[in-house]
Amino acid sequence: APESSSDTQTTDSDEIVVGTSLGSPPKADMEWIRIEIVSLSLHPEAVACEHIQQLYVEYHFPGVPLAETETPLSLRKPQGSEEIYFHFSKVIQLDTEGVSMQRERLFSMLQAEEAGQSWLQFVVVSEPPPGTGGECEDVGFAYVDLHEILLTGNDVLERDLDVVSPQDRSAIGRLKVSVEAAAALCAIYWEGRRKAEEEE
Amino acid sequence: MGEAEEPVPESGAVFTFGKSKFAENIPSKFWFKNDKPLYMSCGDEHTAIVTGNGKLYMFGSNNWGQLGLGTKNTINKPTCIKALKPEKVKLAACGRNHTLVYTERGHVYAAGGNSEGQLGLGDTEERNTFHLISFFTNQYKIKQLAAGSYTSAALTEDGQLFVWGDNSEGQIGLAGEASVCLPCQVDVGKPVSWVSCGYYHSALVTRDGELYTFGEPENGKLGLSPEQLKNNRVPQLVPGILERVNQVACGGGHTVALTETDVYTFGLGQYGQLGHGTFIFEMSAPKAVEHLKRHKICNIACGENHTAVIADNGLMFTFGDGRHGKLGLGEENFTNQFIPTLCSNFLKFTVCLVACGGCHMLVFATPRPKGSEEIHED
Ligand SMILES: [Mg+2]
Ligand SMILES: [Mg+2]
Repeated sequence: APESSSDTQTTDSDEIVVGTSLGSPPKADMEWIRIEIVSLSLHPEAVACEHIQQLYVEYHFPGVPLAETETPLSLRKPQGSEEIYFHFSKVIQLDTEGVSMQRERLFSMLQAEEAGQSWLQFVVVSEPPPGTGGECEDVGFAYVDLHEILLTGNDVLERDLDVVSPQDRSAIGRLKVSVEAAAALCAIYWEGRRKAEEEE
Repeated sequence: MGEAEEPVPESGAVFTFGKSKFAENIPSKFWFKNDKPLYMSCGDEHTAIVTGNGKLYMFGSNNWGQLGLGTKNTINKPTCIKALKPEKVKLAACGRNHTLVYTERGHVYAAGGNSEGQLGLGDTEERNTFHLISFFTNQYKIKQLAAGSYTSAALTEDGQLFVWGDNSEGQIGLAGEASVCLPCQVDVGKPVSWVSCGYYHSALVTRDGELYTFGEPENGKLGLSPEQLKNNRVPQLVPGILERVNQVACGGGHTVALTETDVYTFGLGQYGQLGHGTFIFEMSAPKAVEHLKRHKICNIACGENHTAVIADNGLMFTFGDGRHGKLGLGEENFTNQFIPTLCSNFLKFTVCLVACGGCHMLVFATPRPKGSEEIHED
């Protein structure tokens, strides 16, 4: 009868062959950073202009070409309180320890004293509809503080960031992002500190 | 895919994507020795595979006992349900947290969550082993099983449709009835040839190619006129598709219908699951997917927020929510796709079966014979 006990129901594991796994072996947490641009909502008045039709989001990450850190698609601008969803997730394999512009740049961001210098900047960009001859235009900025990730040791997971206007820094909407970077930033920071001490 | 890995046998392999619970959710593959999948179904977080030898393999989340293994432990490897071995399994359907099975002896079994009577056993107690639904005697030859969030359906060879489970939104089409915990017939006055249960809505196709929808009316997923929407608790004919409909698949907030020549989608498309591009995030009436017009599509599947279609040349296209890699389009970098996107993993394969769940997708594909014509796709 089907209602028999569980011990008779274990698998004959030799019936199944598991294919060898694809790609490279899994890397340790400190060797990569994952950044996801999740979703965007904007105050209707911020994108009321007729010439703003579709939007994409980009960020600059040291050592990674910009073409790889912008959402591959522009989406129709949000209407009313609508949220638009990119779910653009990228794993950045960091340069290995040693001499690396990327690691030096990240270390200097983490060490920066001045507010703003440790911020990872996201830019909401208006892309003109094809054939209209317009130009891309920065509509808003949002920031994740890498220093905060280092200090707290916590990744940023699906955080709603304020999007501010480039003109007057007023809040014009929300950008949801994830930045999984705590382990990697910690490793870069302590590597940088050690090197600095050795040089002294 | 890399060169160094073990070649997939001629008989093919099952490929897993997204949060399948298999191989730590890394895109992976497996195959059966001396057997092959005939039928696959994904629930929210679990999976059933019926093989040519009539065996049922289950894996994934098991919080409600939906794997029918007598436990509630998550199972991360396809596991044969030995208790069903004497009967030869023919069909299986995974709902959000329950599973239905049909065997060659004409028996229908159910396991898992049962809060709304979706197991069809006359009560609302969950079961962690497969229990016989006594309503179905072998006088009913079952052609198709379907399962939604807390809903179940069985379609007979002669076109009778039986439903049970949650009817709070009218999603089993029984009008004024609340939930029912025993199978009841839904009659649209003509034989039914296809049924699909989404999360909170359902759809059926009649033998003469008409599409009917019922259940939660929001966001256009029923494809009905505003006047019709007042009557959402009974199956109603979806207007606007002029050809015969052959198949329908219901997701979380969207519906996909396959005709002889086109794929129509409607409902919610905020993640791209409608495939109508980056400007249409909701459609209340059926609209043919432009990018599939030049392909002959022969199979469709919906996850909660994503869609997969197989073309008659064995290529597969996916679109919608790209999270966790469930679209099968990459190893670690993902994004939502707003138009059908060729799954280039399978250029050297013939895709035979696809099943989509909440956050995962399973594909059964066989290698194209060596020296066969290379498939090119622009
Ligand atoms: Mg990390
Ligand atoms: Mg076509």
